[in-house]
Amino acid sequence: MRSLWGRGCQDESDVFNPGCLMSPNPVTSRMEQMAQQVAERVVALVLDAIDIDALLDRVDVEKLIERVDVEKIIERVDVEQIIERVDVQKIIERVDINALIGEMDIDALVEQTELGAIIARSTTGILSEVLDVIRAQGVGLDDFSLRWANRLIGRKVTDWPKGPPLLVAPEEPK
Amino acid sequence: MTSISTTPSPKEVIRRQGNYAGGISRLAAFAADVGASWGLFTLGAALLSVATELFVGTSVNLTRHQVVAFVCLVVWEFFYFTYSWTVAGKTIGMALLGIQVVTADGDRITARQAAVRTITLPLGFLTLGIGFLGILYQRNRRAVQDFCAGTCVVYAWDARAARLRFMSHTDFGARRQSK
Repeated sequence: MRSLWGRGCQDESDVFNPGCLMSPNPVTSRMEQMAQQVAERVVALVLDAIDIDALLDRVDVEKLIERVDVEKIIERVDVEQIIERVDVQKIIERVDINALIGEMDIDALVEQTELGAIIARSTTGILSEVLDVIRAQGVGLDDFSLRWANRLIGRKVTDWPKGPPLLVAPEEPK
Repeated sequence: MTSISTTPSPKEVIRRQGNYAGGISRLAAFAADVGASWGLFTLGAALLSVATELFVGTSVNLTRHQVVAFVCLVVWEFFYFTYSWTVAGKTIGMALLGIQVVTADGDRITARQAAVRTITLPLGFLTLGIGFLGILYQRNRRAVQDFCAGTCVVYAWDARAARLRFMSHTDFGARRQSK
């Protein structure tokens, strides 16, 4: 049986085929066909006339983003699945641990935590503290004697080397 | 006017590691070494006396043989200083005061340098202390034995441990109290 909606059409819902919207009446059919062609032409002309860049410039992206419900998007993302797809081992292998440790301020870390006190308590006794005091006193007296001995002969010791070259970095000239 | 207060701050002391050591520390270390070496020598002589009495039946008393005792003492002192400097760069007294003998460049000293330093150590006393004046007036704080052996003495104690001790008793302690 011949279809009421024209050749090659199954029913009226076949909107992508212009011939399918035609009515069985030949006059009306021609009119509709013409109207369809005019519409197509007009749409093409309008689209050509529109400057997409100018249009996008006029779009307020910030406002658009504000209207986006990010929470809702995040809720729909399966984080577990993403994590499963990440090769953590490969990432760790690429990290230069030595460089990382080199950049860490260990002293600051020790100062800000109880680590220093714990290490100190576990490694030292009263004897170590006594020795620290004796040695510190010794250093002080060394400076004192050096200063006064050289003052006696009217000499200043400010530009003397601090230590052997392998143990003390040379001072930069002022 | 120079302040009489001579004790530097712990941070300042820690910063001094590797710097030339001064006369007072070295003198105190030497005094401690004299005491330690004498003590060990006396202990050794007493043990020898007890051992000979046990195994031979006759007691050996070095006080009755002063020449032998003197030679033994000289040999012992030579061994004490040379061995200590060769093995660790420091004697017992130097370890207590936190100082160490190194080469003029700052490297570890050799057995030969240790031996030369030990042999020339008495020169400072034989010159009535003039040999030690370099510690106060010479740029590298070197005494006569240091010039002979090509060595110098530097501060060298466990600065890291000392700093941790310092931090645990000052900075951290103060912070905890302020909380």
